[in-house]
Amino acid sequence: MSVRPVQSSNVLTGSLAQIGNCGLFLLTLLAAIPRSFRYVRETLRQLWFVGAMSLTIIMVCGLFVGMVLMLQLYHVLSIFGGTSASGMVVALSVYRELGPVVTALLFAGRAGTSITAEIGLMRATDQIDAMEMMAVDPIAYVATPRFLAGLIAMPLLCCVFCAMSVLGGHLVGVTWLGIDNGTFWSNMTAVVDLHTDIVNGVLLKSLAFGAVVSLIAVYQGFTTPPTSEGVAYATTRTVVASSIAILALDFVLTAFLM
Amino acid sequence: MSQPRNSYAVGTGLFIVLGFAALVYLATQTTSVANVHQGSSYTVDTHFANIGQLKERAPVKIAGVRIGQVQSITLQPGAEVADVKLAIDKNYDKIPLDSVATIFTSGLLGDQYVGIVYGTSKKTVAEGGTLALTKPAEQLEDMLGKFFGAGGMADNLGGTYTVTADFTNVGTLSAGAAVKMAGVPIGSVQSVVADPVKLDAKVTLAIDNRYNQIPDDSSAAVFTSGLIGAQFVAIQPGGSPDALKNGDEMVLTQSAMQLEDLIGKFLVNGSSSDQKNAGNGTSPGKSSSDKPSSPTPTGKQ
Amino acid sequence: MTEPVRAAPDDSTLVRVRGLTTVLNGKTIFDKLELDIPRGKVTAIMGPSGTGKTTLLKHITGQMRPDAGQILVGGKNVPELSREELYKLREGIGYLFQNSALLTDFSVFENVAFPLRQHTKLPEVLLRNVVLLKLQAVGLRGAAELMPNELSGGMARRVALARAIVFDPMLILYDEPFVGLDPVALNQVLKLIRTLNETLGITSVLVAHEIEAVKQVADHVFLIANGKVVAQGDPKTIANDGSAWTRQFFGGGADGPVPFQYPAGDYGQALGFSGAAK
Repeated sequence: MSVRPVQSSNVLTGSLAQIGNCGLFLLTLLAAIPRSFRYVRETLRQLWFVGAMSLTIIMVCGLFVGMVLMLQLYHVLSIFGGTSASGMVVALSVYRELGPVVTALLFAGRAGTSITAEIGLMRATDQIDAMEMMAVDPIAYVATPRFLAGLIAMPLLCCVFCAMSVLGGHLVGVTWLGIDNGTFWSNMTAVVDLHTDIVNGVLLKSLAFGAVVSLIAVYQGFTTPPTSEGVAYATTRTVVASSIAILALDFVLTAFLM
Repeated sequence: MSQPRNSYAVGTGLFIVLGFAALVYLATQTTSVANVHQGSSYTVDTHFANIGQLKERAPVKIAGVRIGQVQSITLQPGAEVADVKLAIDKNYDKIPLDSVATIFTSGLLGDQYVGIVYGTSKKTVAEGGTLALTKPAEQLEDMLGKFFGAGGMADNLGGTYTVTADFTNVGTLSAGAAVKMAGVPIGSVQSVVADPVKLDAKVTLAIDNRYNQIPDDSSAAVFTSGLIGAQFVAIQPGGSPDALKNGDEMVLTQSAMQLEDLIGKFLVNGSSSDQKNAGNGTSPGKSSSDKPSSPTPTGKQ
Repeated sequence: MTEPVRAAPDDSTLVRVRGLTTVLNGKTIFDKLELDIPRGKVTAIMGPSGTGKTTLLKHITGQMRPDAGQILVGGKNVPELSREELYKLREGIGYLFQNSALLTDFSVFENVAFPLRQHTKLPEVLLRNVVLLKLQAVGLRGAAELMPNELSGGMARRVALARAIVFDPMLILYDEPFVGLDPVALNQVLKLIRTLNETLGITSVLVAHEIEAVKQVADHVFLIANGKVVAQGDPKTIANDGSAWTRQFFGGGADGPVPFQYPAGDYGQALGFSGAAK
């Protein structure tokens, strides 16, 4: 294996080395993309596992986020008689921030951990070495398909999440609280911009988050000590590192894109 | 062996299709390129001199009931008026041709919508027809800005004297609110109590001793700073040679206005032209609009 | 798939190790190791635990690069091969992992079919026949549709063996093939190793501790200790060559050249007697 766990006594240099190694690992992953084209089927299979299998949680959470946002906004905005703007605020906050961030956090918990645990166990049971021995590049066969699947799945999941949020907001706002249906949509459509909100907000952010989460998950899986303890630890680290990376990256992206 | 693979492929395909469907939904239904979804409706043309904040898909209402929505808002090059197409439900096809289309605002900060007030004509407007009579959107801020001066709270000044004023309605005025003259704070409200005999509100005003030459026929009014700001008491000087003294009662008072009522009056009775002095004559507080509303001290002792 | 091997200059030796030196975590595993593995024979590599027998196998397959030295497999120096050449070489090498390393996502059939699917475009019918043939050879044709977690340890190892020979390799490396097997399963694996060697002429290298099993199956034994080959020869005679290593290893002494104590500081000092007694 070209990937080895980093060992350092110092926390700072240790984390720097982790980040550096992670970056190098990303290059390895990207370099393996041409070789992984022959494993398109495997990429699709992973897309099923990380994407389609995450749909339920994403849809349910999206619905509830939209509903609770609408409920909160309605009560605050009703003070100013501005309840008709609540649909618009739900859409904007979900598209720009909540959608990509919450989807990515859920994705890290649902798909990231399973990727890490699966690869870690494959290493612990010599399956990765076995692939090497069968002249199958484990980077191209195991790592890159999972990375690409995460990259493709995240924007799609985020779109589903946002759509469900808007529907949840509509459900609460229009069906329950009696905001006018046309006002709800007209306010939303008047403010939401295809480029800044959908492309920059939903798609670009979720693509970046998808890349970061799947990179961390695959990297942790490959560098974990091949023991059951190591796998458990690596799974935890995937969630922690992903969450920090998502929120930090979110700030940077927002600063650049807004 | 190919069975499980196919089920993966189908599931993955479904996932991808669903994801893209959600994207298309977001892009078309919730953004500005959204298409109007309509049932069975007919379109009516109107022309407005000013549409204010009216947006496409805003409701069209008769007597407050939604009967359709704004289909499109366009401005022909060279034209002075905006073309607004209304998509109205086929069930409401008996709208007289001389009905008036007006742009209203729901609530204070709410959205604008098109209200149709029935005319008397026997002829009804048909598909593609035009409602010739319209009233443009009022710029609420312009109008309201004329009524209310706004400024900071009065400084805590040395000595004060108190006068009382009776109001039939003080709105949300409470003790501690500012008392202003010409927009400048000159004191504060000391207390607001209900008078058990006269059955109105007795407001005690503490006015700074420096302002001891306020004519005793001045009037007091309860105003609101800005659109949704706090209420305060505004004093409008009268012409009497005698000044107010400690313990006097101000006879001329103007109660707090219900803003909704006020705006309602404008939108219904207001000028049909788009002139700047719209709202002319309907406001008892108009005199204050001649004064600058900035809190700059006038220097008057 | 055995093409690269035919070009070997020395026909009687398939794997030639020269001056192999490996240092792992500051510990010298191999110190100028020299080793020749004969073609078409079953060679056993024995030695105390921790002498790097598995590491040697990984050097042969190029999974690990040594710090110095040459490993010639079929005339090619493994440490200098590029990734493509290495993969080409590995298609001619079967490797049986200690814990079988079956891919847990796939059934037995798909596990055996995996290398074929990855490297060939065989029609499904032909692929099926090849896989069933190999499974029949290890006696597990009936288990084709089972998943790896439904297999016993011995069965899993036989499936792994079927997978290792699916390409008819020139060389099979067995990493501890007898560990954890009951006597029946052990004899089945023994028989398979022997049969594969005799019928297909596959060169076999096995790393093992089980002296009796090795005596039955191996043609040649290398005993490695302290990074060097300390004894080699026929399994029946090597035990009697008289060196202290072989006497301890084959005779089963607890202490000897392989110390009972892991290297440590002075015992008395560690217990706090501050070296007074010595």
